[in-house]
Amino acid sequence: MTACLLETRTVSRNFGALAAVSDVEFRLEVGARHALIGPNGAGKTTFINLLTGVLRPTQGRVMLKGRDVTDIPEAQRVKLGIARTFQINRLFRGLTVLENVYIAVSERLGIALDMFRPAGARRDVIEEAMHLIAALKLEDDTGRRVSELPYGRQRLVEIAIALGLKPEVLLLDEPAAGVPSAESHIILDAIGSLSEQIGVLIIEHDMDVVFRFAERITVMVGGRIFAEGTPKEIAADPEIRAVYLGQAYHG
Amino acid sequence: MIVAAIKPTEHLAALAFAGRHRPRVWEPAPWIFAIAFYFAFPNYLGFGTELLVTILFALSLDLVLGYAGIITLGHAAFFGAGAYTVGMLAYHGIWNEPISSLMLAAIVAALVGLGSGLVLLRTQGLTLLMLTLCTMALLEEAANLGHEYTGGFDGLASLPIPPLLGLFEFNPLYPRTQYLYVLIVLFIAFLFVRTLIYSPFGQSLAGIRENTLRMHAVGSPVRARLITCYTISAAIAGIAGGLWAQANAYVNLTTLSLDRAAMVLIALILGGYGRIYGGFVGAVAYMALAHFLAKLYPTGWQLGLGLLLVVIALFARNGILGIGEALLRRIRAKHMPQ
Ligand SMILES: Nc1ncnc2c1ncn2[C@@H]1O[C@H](COP(=O)(O)OP(=O)(O)O)[C@@H](O)[C@H]1O
Ligand SMILES: [Mg+2]
Repeated sequence: MTACLLETRTVSRNFGALAAVSDVEFRLEVGARHALIGPNGAGKTTFINLLTGVLRPTQGRVMLKGRDVTDIPEAQRVKLGIARTFQINRLFRGLTVLENVYIAVSERLGIALDMFRPAGARRDVIEEAMHLIAALKLEDDTGRRVSELPYGRQRLVEIAIALGLKPEVLLLDEPAAGVPSAESHIILDAIGSLSEQIGVLIIEHDMDVVFRFAERITVMVGGRIFAEGTPKEIAADPEIRAVYLGQAYHG
Repeated sequence: MIVAAIKPTEHLAALAFAGRHRPRVWEPAPWIFAIAFYFAFPNYLGFGTELLVTILFALSLDLVLGYAGIITLGHAAFFGAGAYTVGMLAYHGIWNEPISSLMLAAIVAALVGLGSGLVLLRTQGLTLLMLTLCTMALLEEAANLGHEYTGGFDGLASLPIPPLLGLFEFNPLYPRTQYLYVLIVLFIAFLFVRTLIYSPFGQSLAGIRENTLRMHAVGSPVRARLITCYTISAAIAGIAGGLWAQANAYVNLTTLSLDRAAMVLIALILGGYGRIYGGFVGAVAYMALAHFLAKLYPTGWQLGLGLLLVVIALFARNGILGIGEALLRRIRAKHMPQ
């Protein structure tokens, strides 16, 4: 058995009468390149929220590195090695790109309680943030406020923040949504150059990206896992073509 | 592959960030003014002392409101806690040495901040606003009812405050000692706050203000941060209150009143919150305007101040300093080659 990073056991989440996620059994292996696909409203984002602790499951358990984290709040799960990006940007809009990434790195290093030294004196943090900024081709925007950037560039900041947390599990919720196609390769390059040890789960509508990136694909429909397999198996499944792949391109 | 020509930390924006805490050339100006005021207006030192206390109080409010984004209408709770600590200890003959009394005022106010913060900072927005108001009203009522200890509605007058360091007399008619004492305490508190806001901790407060949800997602213990900040701010407000009691040699219910909380909020917004010097500019503008308007229209001066606040809220959200920054930016843009 390969080592399992993240696992859910019959996880469900209801919103009133709506079963957004139902009985999901899911495993993310060490070094996984895993894609989660499914039509809009399938429950993909809700599932990520359950994994990260933004939402509590109505039923079921979430395990991180063999440890039950169901009752552990979001911020503490981050400390255990799980990081994510948001489908809709959640950034420090009034702060500069550098400050955005600095915050993530300083939280990871646990220096954010330091009140008596200037943030600028931590050259190591600045250097690390600048490397991430460079990796996402944001150098020219380093000193600009996030709110002044075009939406597509803001998406890159989302990723830089998540990478600043040096996670073992990285969950990407439609990272390329809203990014002009000329820039989407920046995201793929950044994800492609991640360490082999990190398990990555990506939600993505662009099937070219999914089939290029993923070694494993889970298809979610109506809150349930509809199918799971290698890209070949998924592509060959006529039922999946019918429910999903056929209509994916206007998702 | 392109090899970067410069090291990432030598990027201009990175350098700017690394040096953002360095003092700017104009930063000694307010302190020079404050010292000049001492020599130029010996007859107005009472007014000057009140002004400096207000600046210190506004500075403490700026930390929670401007930096951490905690909306509060009840900051006088801590000012009053500090003032009553100094007042009651001195009046009942328990302790009155000025500097250590001030520390006790800070500790008591910090405990009030910690205690209320633990409860209040679970909430946000309007709920939080109402709860801060309630905390202050509760303290005010307690001070009103406990007249045996607090003097009730009349407060405690003629506090026996011994000379500072055993040398400098607090003379209520010529408050020279008071003025310089408050100025020095303000300067120390200011250095502390200034260091704090440029620190990683201050950066994380800005993160909470800008996007609390994202702070959770980067692993930040948001509530603990807010409580820490609130407690520190309360301690500084308590020092301001303690200074007020020592300088005036009395303490009364106005230290805990909504009037005082609203006044410091107006002053800070007028000056521009989240800018450390907003409290300076705002308190000066507020006190000068109030002074001037009260002379012109003894009965309706508050109306003028209210109108001004409406104008600020509508057209200059970032206060006087915000207007200044916008002007500077425009001038720079004009002189920059395109
Ligand atoms: N906080 C919420 N409250 C109520 N309903 C929600 C909430 N979040 C998501 N939903 C509903 O749950 C379903 C799944 O949504 P979501 O997880 O965002 O789907 P996906 O990311 O696959 O597009 C949708 O019908 C959505 O309207
Ligand atoms: Mg979604």
